[in-house]
Amino acid sequence: MRRIYLDNNATTPLSENARRSMRAIIELFGNASSMHKDGRLARQAIEKARANVAALIGAEPSEIIFNSGGSEANNTVFNILAERDFGNRNEIIVSAIEHPCVLASAQKLEKKGWKVWHAPVDEKGKLRISEFNKVLNEKTALVSVMLANNEIGTVQDIAKITQLAQKAGALMHTDAVQAVSKIAVDVKDLAVDYLTMSAHKIYGPKGAGALFVRTGAPFLPLIVGGHQENGRRAGTDSTLGVVGFGLAAKMAKNMIEKYQKIAKLRDELQRQILKKIPFTTVNGDGSLPNTLNVSFAGAEGESILLALDEVGVEVSTGSACASGDGKPSHVLMAIKADPELAHGSIRFSFGLDNDMKDVNYVMRVLPEIVWKLRAISTVKIGDKNE
Amino acid sequence: MNDWIYSDKVKQHFLEPKNWLMGEENQFDFNARGLVGNVVCGDQMLMLLKIEDDVIVDVRWKTYGCASAIASTSVLSEIVKGKTLDEALAVSPEEIAENLGGLPKHKFHCSVLGDQALTKAIEDYRGDQK
Ligand SMILES: Cc1ncc(COP(=O)(O)O)c(C=O)c1O
Repeated sequence: MRRIYLDNNATTPLSENARRSMRAIIELFGNASSMHKDGRLARQAIEKARANVAALIGAEPSEIIFNSGGSEANNTVFNILAERDFGNRNEIIVSAIEHPCVLASAQKLEKKGWKVWHAPVDEKGKLRISEFNKVLNEKTALVSVMLANNEIGTVQDIAKITQLAQKAGALMHTDAVQAVSKIAVDVKDLAVDYLTMSAHKIYGPKGAGALFVRTGAPFLPLIVGGHQENGRRAGTDSTLGVVGFGLAAKMAKNMIEKYQKIAKLRDELQRQILKKIPFTTVNGDGSLPNTLNVSFAGAEGESILLALDEVGVEVSTGSACASGDGKPSHVLMAIKADPELAHGSIRFSFGLDNDMKDVNYVMRVLPEIVWKLRAISTVKIGDKNE
Repeated sequence: MNDWIYSDKVKQHFLEPKNWLMGEENQFDFNARGLVGNVVCGDQMLMLLKIEDDVIVDVRWKTYGCASAIASTSVLSEIVKGKTLDEALAVSPEEIAENLGGLPKHKFHCSVLGDQALTKAIEDYRGDQK
């Protein structure tokens, strides 16, 4: 059966180029910290990758710390606060729609006595600047707002938020895992102190990522006990992962135009869904070119996902039925505050390999799936009093 | 080989549910009705029973929810058809899950909810009889 992968925000396949670069160095076993030739060869490969990753976001190579991915990078930023004295500054602001690894990191600090503000977003997922300004003050140590949201694809005006944060004397972090390669990301324009990246969202390998730390920004390692990454992240360098990441970053330099074309597919799917399936709403503002999040009233997300999977279409759902706690996605609740719409949401996230045939195929199977689940459902759509 | 996320039985009942009610409630001649759960929590189940001489002679249901919730009501509708009310009340969530080839822990609440819908329908019927 034909399989159509529309879950690229979960992860992307390894690109042919990244794969080739990794194959080429798979025998390169030397420890990049060793002084002998095998060590030096590994070091060279890693530094080449660092230059590519730095170039992708307009950073200096020395500002890139390689690690195991986005989750580690985000944890690392919050750990700096836990470990360092910030004087009177004992407050943090995160947006309400951050990735769980940011929210959980903030929660850890909350338990240690930090005050954590969850800045609200509007119905499209944009940070409410006026509300943000109300909680930003001379006690704010860190502001962490993601550049692009993984569930709904809304992109924030990070440059502006950074300006406000820094005027208040706070440090600024952005999780750019979903933004890198899809839209322009330059640390000089954004002016952030910290920025998170992950290789497996840009056609690189899983388990590799980086944290950008602006020169001069406070830093403390999360993983200690080794001099690697200039003493900023202990652990023998993962040559394979880093090299794959480096090649993926090099290729990602030219991806923005490609994603502009992908946006046309996404727009067409959105147009057809809204036209052919009644009682559907789009979540988010469409600013990330590959992401479409739709709520189908009266049908539950996991059921739609599994029925689509049966006919070869792979998507994801923001609903947390899978986790069994019955709580719908915090992102959708933050923008819609309607549990039914949150439970009935499906995320289609396009990748560079998709084409119009994929869109047409989805539209051949999706309307009937939604129709059937609605027919089985207890929920009478269009009747909010039920 | 089963590479599906839940058991083959759940898959069968999810993809081809049995005894579900097509259309509105007036499409089925029932004398017992149980509605449990709510959309806020992500699962809602409706059980409609046709009872004659203390025996469940026919069943229809509707479910809003995930694959395991749909499969739970579907398999339950097969289990209780032909049972007396006391026999039906003795059906446990464990039995529903067993008939589905097992449910993962985080989906067990689906069989609990199915059981509650059935119990509620029978109580509804008995309440009316008194
Ligand atoms: C916005 C965002 N941040 C962080 C992560 C975590 O990245 P990783 O999987 O590399 O740990 C993800 C990916 O799931 C993400 O989408």
